[in-house]
Amino acid sequence: MNCEVCELKELLVEQFEIREVLRCILHTIIFHRALGLVRPRDINCELFELTYVQCGVPDVEKEIEEKITELISKVSKHPNRRSHQVCLSFYETKDKQLAWFSSKTERVYWERWFINLQIINQRVNMKPNQTKVGFDPGENLFSLEEKKLHRTALEASIRENLFQIIKFVNDKMDHLPHIPPNAEGISYPFELTILSSSESSLDMLKRMLQTGHQTTLS
Amino acid sequence: MAAHPDSGRTTEQIVSQFLSKALHAILAARIPYIHGHTPPPSRHPRKRDRWFHLALGDPPPALEHPSGLIPNGVMEPLVVDILLSPRDDPTMPEAIVERWLAQCEAPAPWSPLHSPAETSSNSFLVKRTYKKSIILLRSIYSVLRLLPAQRVFKMLCASNQSYNHDLTYRVSSFAEPFSRKEEAEFQYHCFAPVETQSGQLAVSVQYRPSLSQFNLEISSLLPPMLITDYVGSPAADPMRAFPSSPSERTGTRSSTSFPLRGSQHGQPSTSAPASAPLFFNRPHSWTSGPSEAPSNRAQPPHHPPTGSYRKPAFNFDEFKFSPPFYMSPTPSPPKFSGSYTQSPLRSETAPVSIPQSGTSKVKGLRSPNLSDPTRNFLPPPSPRSVRTTDPSSQDSDSRSFRRPDGLRTSDGYSNMYGTPKGLKDGRDDSGRFSLSGSPRFTFSRSSSRISVPDDLDDPDFSYPFAVDDVDSSDSQARSNDGKEASDFGHASSSHKSQDAAVGVLVHMLRTAAPLRDSTYSSQSSKSELQEEGLGSTSSFFMSRKASDALEELQSYKSIKEMLLSQSKGKLH
Repeated sequence: MNCEVCELKELLVEQFEIREVLRCILHTIIFHRALGLVRPRDINCELFELTYVQCGVPDVEKEIEEKITELISKVSKHPNRRSHQVCLSFYETKDKQLAWFSSKTERVYWERWFINLQIINQRVNMKPNQTKVGFDPGENLFSLEEKKLHRTALEASIRENLFQIIKFVNDKMDHLPHIPPNAEGISYPFELTILSSSESSLDMLKRMLQTGHQTTLS
Repeated sequence: MAAHPDSGRTTEQIVSQFLSKALHAILAARIPYIHGHTPPPSRHPRKRDRWFHLALGDPPPALEHPSGLIPNGVMEPLVVDILLSPRDDPTMPEAIVERWLAQCEAPAPWSPLHSPAETSSNSFLVKRTYKKSIILLRSIYSVLRLLPAQRVFKMLCASNQSYNHDLTYRVSSFAEPFSRKEEAEFQYHCFAPVETQSGQLAVSVQYRPSLSQFNLEISSLLPPMLITDYVGSPAADPMRAFPSSPSERTGTRSSTSFPLRGSQHGQPSTSAPASAPLFFNRPHSWTSGPSEAPSNRAQPPHHPPTGSYRKPAFNFDEFKFSPPFYMSPTPSPPKFSGSYTQSPLRSETAPVSIPQSGTSKVKGLRSPNLSDPTRNFLPPPSPRSVRTTDPSSQDSDSRSFRRPDGLRTSDGYSNMYGTPKGLKDGRDDSGRFSLSGSPRFTFSRSSSRISVPDDLDDPDFSYPFAVDDVDSSDSQARSNDGKEASDFGHASSSHKSQDAAVGVLVHMLRTAAPLRDSTYSSQSSKSELQEEGLGSTSSFFMSRKASDALEELQSYKSIKEMLLSQSKGKLH
């Protein structure tokens, strides 16, 4: 099975914007991949003039929130790292026959999404609950006007990412596994991983190839 | 999805249901209050919701028989125009802000779909078609939330104010082409087509990238008014029923009723006809539609478009799903409720009156006054001790009050129910069908004003510091109590203990008559009390100000201190 990969456009975000941005993108992807019976819920972003759709499955929401919290914590602990990547992978579980009398259950990934975040205005050596503006000489946003421009640009980027997701899910459907009968909510299992800034998607794919996973870039 | 031996019929069913569901999704995301009366929520999704694994709830009444919208079969295109119609200016034309086009295009002669295939591959094609249709519908659902018109929809749904535009729709099988100039104003988004045995199912949307040119503004703004008979007002009778119609309310308030937000949550409304699409509910909202509409706003029930009618394949029972967070920060639009006695949100707290501002008789504030926060330091009297006698402040419904909770704010309430400008449907001469409708809203603002605490005129009114439910109608008892207090005061001046002095003071305060005279001065009261010791009787006052009340409080504090010092002196 081919593994389709979609790398979304990088987003420049401030630390406090990470949660909303990731919620928006991750839920949109999952809404298009939770092909069981769902009861969609419209969610208005608090920071942006955007409305996205959740599939309404509590376990999914919980898992996404936990992963976002983990990323934020990582960002806080490593303020010098700017690039972060979240990978959403959909997989199938298959039993692989290792030998004549043993088998092993492995995950076969058939789709991966890479969400790229560039953290700006990083708070250096500060606790997550502190709100003081950082003094990063690189990309600090001090003025209100600059913040406004950043917010507008970020909103447009998120919208662009969402349309990119919609285009991708519409263009590529043949690789999707069979939908389980009477599926409710999530029809395909997925996993969320946070990649370190030093490891790019290409590095991860190389690592996968070395471990023997059959993947192809689309 | 069950496998039918006749795969061609199943494909047609898929396409038909897809068009219907797409139309449902579009209208639910664009037309405020498209849903009419909604029965109680059902936990189990109906078969209709299971189509494409997307539970959208009950379709609007206009879509109850979606086959009527596609009388010539699935090959006829479905065109949905979303229009922004000016409300107050009929001379201004309505403008199309979005045009959705969904159609099943016949396959090309050279297409493999054109030739009949084997049954096994038919089944495979049908399954693939269905799976892709699921994803396509999800995409349509998501794109609806990303287009600029979504913002207008949110404003119209969430706001309690009336805007100068309405969102309306027009469904037809023919798309009137845009002029070149109009075409240039639109952007185009096309979804990847889904291959079916009947052809390619293609969906596209033309939309205006910006709606700023329409100057969406609030069209009417009612002046803020104060609620006079909120729940808890001492002037209100706790046992009095709520008025059943706006005319029973105070004359200074607007004549329309105040629908309670979230009323009949999940409960069926009783009088709105199910076939009428005119009493709208928020899409995806689990609040029911209005329970009762005023007779003067009654509209004829909507009739589905003429055309061949096919019995729907499934029962379209209601289905409720969790409410969207879309409503989160803003309250749900209130629903008109003709009878407040039916309202589950009727407050059960005791009434408290609000003194009326701007009147010569500004009463002492014994109750929380929303308009004047400085007056809130005094506790409200118990309801039994409060009566309304002042005719100047008399509202017939001053005793019918509501608690100033989140449902009733000085910003007012919307009385929203939809009435179509003109629900047009039918076919033109060319055989094309069209259906249009538009909700229209009327708004009212709650009126509230500071009412004169009528109870102050009541001789039976008890003192604001009263903590017991004293039966203030027994003035004789009070005078006797006053006498006793007086006698007691004389005695205590010489022999009372410190505790007894305080007790006498408290008793005096409890049995004191209301302050009536605005000319009352704390000095005079103090001197009276000093002369009579602890036995000073309360004066009757017609009105007092907050400053008077403060002075009085200080005077009583000084009296207490004096008594304490006296008792100490005597003990020593």
